[in-house]
Amino acid sequence: MRRSRAVKYAFLVPAVLWILVVSLFPLASAIYYSLVQYALGQGVTAFVAFQNYLDNFHNPTFWHAAWITAVYVAVTVAVEMAFGVALAWSLTKRVWGRQFFRVLFTAPLFTMGVALGYLGVTLFDADSGPVNFFLGFIGLHPPWIASAFWGLAAAIILDIWRWTPFVFLVALAALESVPGEFYEAAALDTRGEWPVFVGIALPTIAPVLTIAFLLRLMEAFKVFGLPFALTSGGPGTSTQVYSAMVYLTTLQFFDFGHGSAMGIFFLAVVLLIVLRLFRVMRAQIE
Amino acid sequence: MSIYEPYRGIKRVLFYVWLILVAVWVLFPFFWAVENSLKTTEQTFTRGAFLPWIQYQPTLGSWQTVISDPAAIRALVNSVVISIATTLIVLVLGTPAAYALARHEFRPMTGRDIAVWFLTQRVLPPAVVLVPYFVLMVHLRLIDTQIGLILVYVAVTLPFGVVIMRDVFRDIPVELEEAAFIDGANDLRVFGRVSLPLAVNGLVATAIIVFAFNWNEAILASTLTSRVAQTLPFFILSSRSTRGVDFNTAAVNSLIAIVPPVVLSLVIQRFLARGLTFGAVKG
Repeated sequence: MRRSRAVKYAFLVPAVLWILVVSLFPLASAIYYSLVQYALGQGVTAFVAFQNYLDNFHNPTFWHAAWITAVYVAVTVAVEMAFGVALAWSLTKRVWGRQFFRVLFTAPLFTMGVALGYLGVTLFDADSGPVNFFLGFIGLHPPWIASAFWGLAAAIILDIWRWTPFVFLVALAALESVPGEFYEAAALDTRGEWPVFVGIALPTIAPVLTIAFLLRLMEAFKVFGLPFALTSGGPGTSTQVYSAMVYLTTLQFFDFGHGSAMGIFFLAVVLLIVLRLFRVMRAQIE
Repeated sequence: MSIYEPYRGIKRVLFYVWLILVAVWVLFPFFWAVENSLKTTEQTFTRGAFLPWIQYQPTLGSWQTVISDPAAIRALVNSVVISIATTLIVLVLGTPAAYALARHEFRPMTGRDIAVWFLTQRVLPPAVVLVPYFVLMVHLRLIDTQIGLILVYVAVTLPFGVVIMRDVFRDIPVELEEAAFIDGANDLRVFGRVSLPLAVNGLVATAIIVFAFNWNEAILASTLTSRVAQTLPFFILSSRSTRGVDFNTAAVNSLIAIVPPVVLSLVIQRFLARGLTFGAVKG
C-alpha cells in the first residue's frame, strides 16, 4: 500500500497549528499576565511576580468561590452518576414504551445552561414558583435563590436535570453490550436483582463509567452559565462559582493581572485532579 | 441483549410509577418554558397558574414582542452564523486530521498519543484564557465580531471533533482503501472517494455535537462580544440587567435557544453515547 508521507502531514498540521496558535499561545500569555500589574487602559504597569496570586489567596471571596465550585462539582457529579446508572439499569428490562423513555430521558442533554438557569428563576420563585407550590403540600417553603444555601441547591438540581442524561446514555450503551445471559441470571436469581447489578453489571461497565465520570468532572469544573443566570452569584457573592468570579474580575473590574492569576491557579488545580485520572482513560481510547 | 420481564404485581406498578415520575421530572421544565412563553409578565409571577384557559389566558404577545425585537433577532442570527461557520471549519480542518490519525503513525508518537493530546485540550477551563483572548481580540480589532468568536470557538471544539472523527474513520475497513490503492488511486482520491463517503453519517453526527457545544457556549461569548456579535446565551444573560425581569419574553428566548440542539440531538440518538465518549462506548 502506498500512502504518502507528505499527505499525512498536510492532513494533520492545519488542525494542530490552529490549536497551538489560538489555544496554547493565549495560555502562555495568561501566565505572563498573571505576573504583572495590568488594568485596561493603563496597560502593563509593573512586574509583580507572585503578588497577584498572594492577593487572591488573601481574598475571602476567592476562597468562597473555590469552595462553592468544589461543592457544586462534587454533588452534581456524584448524583448524576448514581441517578444516570439507576435510570439506565431500569431500561435494560422489558419495559412498555422503552424506546420512548430512552429518547425522553436524553432530551435535556443539549439544553443551554444560561436558558435553563433563567427558567429556574421562575421555577424556583419562592412565592409563585411551581416547585414551592408542590412543596407547599408537604409544608415546605424554602427561600431558594433568596438564600445562599438554597440558591446553590437550586442550581445543583437544575444541573442534575441537565447532565444526568449524559451518564444515562453512556451507562445504557455499556449495559446493552453486556451479554444477555447476565440479565437472565438476574431474572432467575432468587435473591433479587441487586446481587446481579453489583456483582456482574457494575464491574462489567466500570471502565466505561470511569470515562463518563472523568468527562463529567472536566466539564463540571467549567460551569458558568447555569448558576450565573440563575442567581447572578447572589445574594452578594455567596453562590458565585469560580468561572463567574474570573469573568467579573476580568470584564467588570478589568483587573487583568488578578483575573489571569485566578485562571492559572484554576488550571493548576484542575490539571492536578484530572490528569491523575487521565491515565486510566488513556488506556480506554484505542 | 436479551430483555427479561422485570417484576410482577405491586413491584411492577411501583417500577412504572418510578419511570413516570422521572418522565415528569424531565418534561416539566420544557412544559414550564412553553407555559411562561404564553403568559403576560404579571402571570409569570401568579401563584398556581398552571392550566391554560382555566387558570390563565394564554397569549402569543411575548412571541410577538421577541420577533419584533431587533436585538433578539440579531442574537439569533449571530448564534446561527457563528455556530454553523465554526462547525464547518471544524469539519474542514478536523476531518483530514482525524483521518491521518486513524490511518498513520507519527513516530515516535502513535496516532493515539496525538489523539490523547487533542483530548487534553478539553481540560482547559475557558475561564483560564479569558484575559488573553480579550486582550488579543482588542489588539486584532476583532472584539465583538463574529470572526473573533469563530476563531476561538474553532480552537475550543476542534480537539474533540478530531477525536470523535478519528473513531469514525477507524471503523471503516482498511481493506476497502487498499483495494482502491491497488486500482492506482492516490491518497487524496482514496480519502475523497472511498473513506469520506463511508464516514458521512459519523461526520454529520459529529457536526451536530460540535454545533450544540458552540450554540450553548456562554462565558467566551460574554467576554468577546458586547452588542454587534452578541449570541443568544449572552443575550439572555444580559437581558436581566437591562430590562428587569420579563420572564415571559425570557422564556421565548430560552425556547428559541433550547430547541435547535435538543431536536438535532434526537436525530443522532444512536451515535450520541459513542460520540460523547470519543468512541469508548460502542453505542
